[in-house]
Amino acid sequence: MAVLRSAPLRHLLRGLVSAVIVVAALFPIFWGLMTSLKPARDIVTFPPSLLPATVTLEHYATIFKAGALGFLLNSLLVSAGTVALCIGLGALAAYGLARFEFPGKRAVLVAIIAVMSIPVASLLIPTYTLIAEIGLVNTHVGLILVYSAYQLPIVIWILAAYYQSLPIELEWSAMMDGYSRFQALWKVVLPLSRPGLIAAGLFVVVFAWNDFVVAVTLLSSEDTRTLPIGIYNFLGFYGREWGPLLAASMVSTIPLLVIFVVLQRYFMAGMTNGSVKG
Amino acid sequence: MIEGSGASIEFRGIGKRYGETVALADLDLTIQPGEFVSLLGPSGSGKTTTLNILAGLISADSGSIMIGDTDVTYLSPDRRGIAMVFQNYALYPHMTIAENLAFPLQARGRNLSRLAIKAKVQDVADTLGIGHLLARYPKEISGGQQQRVALGRAMVRDPKVFLLDEPLSNLDARLRLKMRRDLKALHQRLRSTIVYVTHDQSEAMSLSDRIAIYQGGRLQQCGTPADIYRRPANAFVANFMGEREMNNLPGTVVQTGGGVVFKAEGLDLTLPSTLSGWARFHDRAVTLGIRPQGVQIGQRADATQCEAVLRLVEHAGTEQFFYAQAGGVELSGAAAPDTPLAIGDRVSLTLLSRELYLFDTASGAALVQGGDLAA
Ligand SMILES: Nc1ncnc2c1ncn2[C@@H]1O[C@H](COP(=O)(O)OP(=O)(O)O)[C@@H](O)[C@H]1O
Ligand SMILES: [Mg+2]
Repeated sequence: MAVLRSAPLRHLLRGLVSAVIVVAALFPIFWGLMTSLKPARDIVTFPPSLLPATVTLEHYATIFKAGALGFLLNSLLVSAGTVALCIGLGALAAYGLARFEFPGKRAVLVAIIAVMSIPVASLLIPTYTLIAEIGLVNTHVGLILVYSAYQLPIVIWILAAYYQSLPIELEWSAMMDGYSRFQALWKVVLPLSRPGLIAAGLFVVVFAWNDFVVAVTLLSSEDTRTLPIGIYNFLGFYGREWGPLLAASMVSTIPLLVIFVVLQRYFMAGMTNGSVKG
Repeated sequence: MIEGSGASIEFRGIGKRYGETVALADLDLTIQPGEFVSLLGPSGSGKTTTLNILAGLISADSGSIMIGDTDVTYLSPDRRGIAMVFQNYALYPHMTIAENLAFPLQARGRNLSRLAIKAKVQDVADTLGIGHLLARYPKEISGGQQQRVALGRAMVRDPKVFLLDEPLSNLDARLRLKMRRDLKALHQRLRSTIVYVTHDQSEAMSLSDRIAIYQGGRLQQCGTPADIYRRPANAFVANFMGEREMNNLPGTVVQTGGGVVFKAEGLDLTLPSTLSGWARFHDRAVTLGIRPQGVQIGQRADATQCEAVLRLVEHAGTEQFFYAQAGGVELSGAAAPDTPLAIGDRVSLTLLSRELYLFDTASGAALVQGGDLAA
């Protein structure tokens, strides 16, 4: 195709395609955001208008009065706890797999891959039983433990691949300079693994923040609920009241969006660096 | 931890395998306090393995290691009092040059004040001429400067033993010569024990008190540069040392009515009476070795002679090197730069007796070294 060989045209085409993808992906969110800012009577007008004629925060006020702040804090707590536990354990486990030879290492690696491919839904009943057995149903700790169990394999996988891409001489140097292996990990390996840590952390945060199925199974009372369950309950409560529903959706969507935008360059570096050499 | 300037090192029967590969076979080697010893050998001969085992970064399968009076075989790297410069320098990319240099001083147990660390870093940086780079990051400086920083990071805590793994191999030729001189000067000043890995024989010759030469995971010989050059233990060592390849002539020694003769392919060399002792090697296949410097144009009394035709002449600044056909063998030799040499000339060649080596072809063991029978 001769036209594609000219550079400006190719750029234009690429730009157009990207623009279409961006619009398709962002339009629902944008429309949701705009609608959540419209007064109730403007939402159902026909033909629909994209931009609100008058901006109002009444729907946000409504959902916060109905307990959305509590759900938001619960989600923050559970997500932060899961990320901390996953990264803390995963960083150490991955180091062991990346740098030590031990009997059964291959088996462990295969097991990690195998576990990653099991759908969460099929684990729901056994994990519920287990969590009930140790008395952690309807607690955030229980939820954090289950989320971490689900997400640790991918975290270990990403981090082990990332560590292996670092020259081992850096750790050796630190060890010869008078540091223990653990200190070398802390002062040299982890700072250099920031892109890998961030990529792994994002995986975990997306899962923990968005999860509905596990949370709805494990959490029973209003005060422990995370955002997705809270929003689900709004559905029944407000029926067809789009304003509060969309406001709740925005509260649950926007934090992740912001995190991704802020960290995206690390995320890209982490994914490519880890995956190419792993 | 062992401190002080220069400790002795002793390898006792150290062995290391990777599956079927023998990386290091039964290494016995003693290094004196303050000595500069090079580990020399082709790639894959076990030099890095030796250093890594000495440093405690990998463990040996067998044997033990002493540093000073301490058995360090099972000691972790941070407790051996060793500093190492890696081939890829291994500078910490997330730290400035100053932070890289200070890092060893901040390790637990050293208990140095902030001020003392700063002074020491400045001191080392000034010694190595990198004082103006302290605020930069490793990727912002040149390869030669990185090399100095790596050296500085090793020096900064006054280790009793330095390990350097091919530290100059990533530098260009001129810089390499300059760094060679600087390293030598540094050693004169510090007097620490230095174990230096290289595959460059001229680097090893010019820097070392002694050279340990490796092949295939085995230590072949350890001695002073002159010793290794003049008294190689075997054909491998003889061929590895020297700028140019040795001439190697497979053949036999025969006692005839006219004296002792070395018979090579299509070439009989009558040996002078001073070499009549070679007659004892009549019973085996041998290889005559002679470096180009020992093959000269012209006739000389009481030396080995032959006739040859010049095939190729190379100018090399202070010398000319030539290749000449003598019977069935090709000999390379050296001549003064102003000697008129033309391709196709018939010339008489003299093989200097003190440059003759004789090896057992089967085992490679040296029978004659520099004209003298091997001990
Ligand atoms: N981690 C390893 N795994 C397998 N083989 C290795 C490993 N390290 C070194 N070897 C092998 O051991 C031998 C010696 O290696 P090395 O000490 O690095 O040689 P040198 O430094 O002299 O080039 C080589 O054959 C090399 O392939
Ligand atoms: Mg090496």
